[in-house]
Amino acid sequence: MFSSSRKKIISTSLKGFRCNSQTAEALQVTNRLASNKTKPSQLKFSRIYPEFLPDPKIEFRNPLREIIERMDMLNRRRNVHIPEFYVGSILSVTYSDKHNPEKLNCFVGICIKREGCGLRANFILRNIIDSQGIEILFDIYDPTIQRIDVLKLEKRLDDELLYLRDALPEYSTFDINMEAEVLPEGSEIPINPIKVKLKPRPWLERWERKNLKGVQDLELPEKFYKRAAELADTTSQYDLMKQYMKTIPVEEQYQIFSEIESELNQLEIAQKKQKRKKSFVKPVKLA
Amino acid sequence: MAFIISNVFNKSSNKSIVTSFQIYNITQIREKRVVPKPKLRHPTWFTHKNRVIHDDFVTADNVGFLKEVVEDQRNSLIPKKAPTNIIDWHPGLRRTGVIARKIGNIPLWLKDGTKIFTTMLEVLDNHVIRCYSPEEYNSPRVKPTLVKNKKGCLLLGAIETDPILLTKEYCGLFKDSGVLPKKVLGRFFVSPEALLQPGTPITIDHYRVGNYVDVRGKTIDRGFQGVMKRHGFSGMPASHGVTKTHRRGGNIGGGGEKGRVWPGTKMPGHMGNRYRVAKGLKILRINRKYNVMWVMGMGIPGETNSIVYIYDTVLPLRKPSAALPFPTYFHKDEDVLPEEFYDENLHNFSDPSIVYK
Amino acid sequence: MNIIFKRNFHLSPLRSEIQKQTRLRVVDNSELGKRAMAEGKPPRCIHVYNKTGVGKIGDIVLLAIKGEKKKGVLVGLKQNQKPKVPKFDSNNVVLIDDNGSPMGTRIHVPIPTILRTLLKDKTHVKGPDYTKLLSISTRFV
Repeated sequence: MFSSSRKKIISTSLKGFRCNSQTAEALQVTNRLASNKTKPSQLKFSRIYPEFLPDPKIEFRNPLREIIERMDMLNRRRNVHIPEFYVGSILSVTYSDKHNPEKLNCFVGICIKREGCGLRANFILRNIIDSQGIEILFDIYDPTIQRIDVLKLEKRLDDELLYLRDALPEYSTFDINMEAEVLPEGSEIPINPIKVKLKPRPWLERWERKNLKGVQDLELPEKFYKRAAELADTTSQYDLMKQYMKTIPVEEQYQIFSEIESELNQLEIAQKKQKRKKSFVKPVKLA
Repeated sequence: MAFIISNVFNKSSNKSIVTSFQIYNITQIREKRVVPKPKLRHPTWFTHKNRVIHDDFVTADNVGFLKEVVEDQRNSLIPKKAPTNIIDWHPGLRRTGVIARKIGNIPLWLKDGTKIFTTMLEVLDNHVIRCYSPEEYNSPRVKPTLVKNKKGCLLLGAIETDPILLTKEYCGLFKDSGVLPKKVLGRFFVSPEALLQPGTPITIDHYRVGNYVDVRGKTIDRGFQGVMKRHGFSGMPASHGVTKTHRRGGNIGGGGEKGRVWPGTKMPGHMGNRYRVAKGLKILRINRKYNVMWVMGMGIPGETNSIVYIYDTVLPLRKPSAALPFPTYFHKDEDVLPEEFYDENLHNFSDPSIVYK
Repeated sequence: MNIIFKRNFHLSPLRSEIQKQTRLRVVDNSELGKRAMAEGKPPRCIHVYNKTGVGKIGDIVLLAIKGEKKKGVLVGLKQNQKPKVPKFDSNNVVLIDDNGSPMGTRIHVPIPTILRTLLKDKTHVKGPDYTKLLSISTRFV
């Protein structure tokens, strides 16, 4: 079913990563690629558009389905501007809501999770409004979404910020009338080094076992860390087959993005033009 | 057994009825079938498929020559013309189905904003391989005298493959059809009016958006499983003095007269790898360029990338209202079909965002 | 001993699913609800008025609150929701009487907009009018 090139690559350790993680291995890959004189623009695409890559579960992949899915995704992107964003960025989503008298609704919050590939791709926004924590899950390619604005483009130290559910409320409180911060053209995405303070236990998950970087000292008795160290997965990073199965080889990423690169670039240029043409109108805040 | 015994009773005297009834009363009818089971015979196309590859020390030149022969055969194929005696479709006629591949489950959105889950099916390069009229076709399972309105049979093949890998007998099946050997075969019962000449291609245009189909596939093979996974039993408590029976089924029957395991009792065993049919699925979208159709629902048996068989639905309330291409779609030069067909309620991703009024 | 130990925690585990015995949070300003929450004795669900016994958003529940039986409407759940439906950090309930009119005069947290449709569907001509709850809410999300 799959191309023979993929089978051959098992022996090599070149790996492309679906997630946006800045792991040591991903950095290694970038270094090696730089030395191999490969195109850096396409690596950029796999960071900005992670949902264009095939499913991390190898048994769900099918090349034909992925081609058609990508076609649909590009068609949707021509009708709505889906900007570049990461876990940790602050977004504002305006969407049609048939339950509202204005038939429009808006939610502002921090992106705490982004997952799924193809048309299933989704993200979760979290905010605290009137001292009540609220989360909403949005499908990226949902046609009821009218516009997505990035109010603050940045990354955090972790790939998932689900621990904000157990953190003090000030860490996930954002003004719903927030002004958008515009990054200068061509600048790197800043990484916010903030360390959040968690509430005392009980928690929703055992965060001491998750190897989190963006949290302050958890102030737990020694036995918790001991147990976490016992259960830590130290071997799977050396399991080449496992890594191969859940990652997409860099060569295949090139192939995928070389097919759609020109269209993505055109979309970007068109959206930039549009931005310049009309002055920024703030989305109407409802409800 | 039982009815023979009762006949004996009627003929015998009253006295003997009482005594013999007491003796024979406990006889149970375990075999429902009166007529003996028909003998199971394999279909005529059931041959060994894959050749045992020996190291024949064929030179590189000869390997190239073999490839050339196959290529020549492929080029010399003459496309079949449409038959002349075509009748219009009417309810009650049964058309052929197609062989397809399940390529994944993806979400789509309706025009009112609801998210639905669909399955994508890729219709493969189907060709009619053999055609059996009702008289010719000798069913391997059903006793011929019992069948009314006997149907004909079409043997379809899909996925063209290298004939060098296949046995001589298997390749012989394709001799009269004028197509190269195919990897997958499928048998479809059709009305005598819907029979097609061998070599006729069957494309995705055989189906229309809005029709309902039944999809038959082989369920995911889960191996030998216990009752909790296989039949959804609850199992038993983890503690409270329970030992060694946490995921077991428990009692499987009573005693006395029913002192045996009743047929059909749910027990551990092999799960999956059986053919199952998902019925009455609506076709929502068709892409003619890639030969892909989207059908409603995620419950189609089989893994992604597995082969499935698509039929017109048998459900009485979901029969098509408009005429279908019968016996299949034959392309005419004046027909200009768009690349994609959408259901009227389905959102097209090229359309602007949904706005409620 | 001058210190009085007060048990302000619960031994039963927190449930994200609304069923019998689930503790809920009253989010309106009714006297009863405010007192119950202030004393650290949140109401418990003792019945869910639907066929599954698991409370979903907009469902009516019977509550045991300060030794009384009162009805309430679920206006925010901890459970994972469908796309575009908000998920809350607590299981919120608004107290109502038998006619469906709320006991308080204000709801001090946001409520989901989908309640507009759900409560309208629940309201029938001769039955209680649950949509009165929408008029005392301060904010929709």
